[in-house]
Amino acid sequence: MSEIREIISSGNELAAIASVDAGCKFFAGYPLTPSSEIMHVVSDLLPKIGGAAIQMEDEIAGVAAAIGAGMSGVRSLTATSGPGISLKAENLGLAQMCEVPLVVINVMRGGPSTGLPTRVSQGDVAQAKNPSHGDYKSITVCAGNLAECYTETVRAFNLADRFMQPVFVLLDETIGHMHAKAELPTLEAVKAGIVPRKTFDGAPEDYLPYGVEEDQPALLNPMFTGYRYHYTGLHHDASGFPTEEIETCRKLIDRLFQKVEKYQDEIESNEEYMVDDADILIVGYGSASLAIKEAINMLRKDGIKVGMFRPITLWPSPEKRLHELGQKFDKVLSVELNQGQYLEEVQRSMGRLDIEKLTKTNGRPFSPSDIIEKVKEL
Amino acid sequence: MSKIVMRFTGVGGQGVLLAGEIFAAAKIKQGGYGIKTATYTSQVRGGATVVDIQLDDKEIFYPYAIDGEIDFMLSVADVSYQQFKGGVREGGTIVIEPNLVHPTDEDRKKWNIVEIAIITIAKEEVGNVITQSVVALAIANTYTKALDRQLLIDTMLSKVPKKVHELNLKAYELGEKYATEAIAEA
Repeated sequence: MSEIREIISSGNELAAIASVDAGCKFFAGYPLTPSSEIMHVVSDLLPKIGGAAIQMEDEIAGVAAAIGAGMSGVRSLTATSGPGISLKAENLGLAQMCEVPLVVINVMRGGPSTGLPTRVSQGDVAQAKNPSHGDYKSITVCAGNLAECYTETVRAFNLADRFMQPVFVLLDETIGHMHAKAELPTLEAVKAGIVPRKTFDGAPEDYLPYGVEEDQPALLNPMFTGYRYHYTGLHHDASGFPTEEIETCRKLIDRLFQKVEKYQDEIESNEEYMVDDADILIVGYGSASLAIKEAINMLRKDGIKVGMFRPITLWPSPEKRLHELGQKFDKVLSVELNQGQYLEEVQRSMGRLDIEKLTKTNGRPFSPSDIIEKVKEL
Repeated sequence: MSKIVMRFTGVGGQGVLLAGEIFAAAKIKQGGYGIKTATYTSQVRGGATVVDIQLDDKEIFYPYAIDGEIDFMLSVADVSYQQFKGGVREGGTIVIEPNLVHPTDEDRKKWNIVEIAIITIAKEEVGNVITQSVVALAIANTYTKALDRQLLIDTMLSKVPKKVHELNLKAYELGEKYATEAIAEA
């Protein structure tokens, strides 16, 4: 029996198909270049399986409706690009505070503001870590090829239900729009990997959705199932009602961190490409990694041994592995389509400032020759 | 086969994207790797559009054509011709719509520039301007011999509505005919 299937498609379409395969039943959003195809495809697929897709009046309403669906217990999606995330930010904070699972796909384009709508960028990496004010721990995954547009979207839905919070999937214009063959897990394998959200099945009077252990996510039952609920962006106690009690407030925010930090092993995912025998290490992610791989293959033909470390989970960052690699390699080059947003994380994790950088913010992709030239200068 | 790199350029709204998808899908069907990546501007219509197509037996990582590696380009708009011609390797073929694209004398020395009135053929001989992407598809394959003709036609037909199969078949045959004539004249 074949364990994989082949689909010829684009990154955006694959992310949309993945959502439906992962059990998503609801989409609400507002079409924004270069993410619009995600909405087109889920609008076609969801009604056929008893789900719903709604084009809302704006980005804010899009995420608000998607959060509402998440509260009601279904797997829920919204998709947009950076400017849309800026608008959704306040509600994303609400979802973090209320611990509502949700998948948010951001197909990155040039910014800030409306920027370069049809052009590629990786300028929303820092935004994905902290889109809204306040303290919480982002979970952000980033697809580096077509297959991952599918597999990482599936994983995002599973992580959202596991950790009870919004999960970002970062694509970018290049990955979202490139069109080729993707080798994907079978639908059966995807379905088998779905772990439904935990629920409380005790007596309704004993229901305390936020009364969980210090490293556990909230245990939220779907609305309208006989359990009284109260959602608020205010600090809240075990029942969900507002409080300013000192210890309760401290514990709540600590828990939002610990529920992610203590289980980072379940979240972390990286690719190491020709790292073992390399003399130079490149750190890159997303579509930039495609140019990096091509460059590595060309450089190796000239006898220059370069390898790549590619974080697939950007947040929380793979700080331990980065630290190890920082000890091993003298020459480290960070390559990204922004002014160095992840470079700062690489510097922090490696505990050194002498990381070389190659950045680009004119809306154009890296070409392999950009990278080859930079490596030869090192 | 060795890697074949093609580039189609036009302006937004002309439908040059479809030809790229058909090439990529047909190559994958045949066995191997095909990839299509489009770049366009934020203008809905009238902005320079470029589609890069790479076909290879080996896995392709980087989705864009690398400048200097493009074997074949086809252009139906001057704005995008001027912007993207630089990626074509010296001696490569560029098929242009002569009513809309205006190459310099320098260009004609550097590349094998072929004039085929793609849009006029689609509009007047096929009878529907939208079929220009299929005329272009046929011209590109006739020049590059990238893929089996029937496989490409079958793939193309699988991507257009049944009621326009005959029209698109006609578009393919006409594109092939004009390209074959242009090759014979050269």
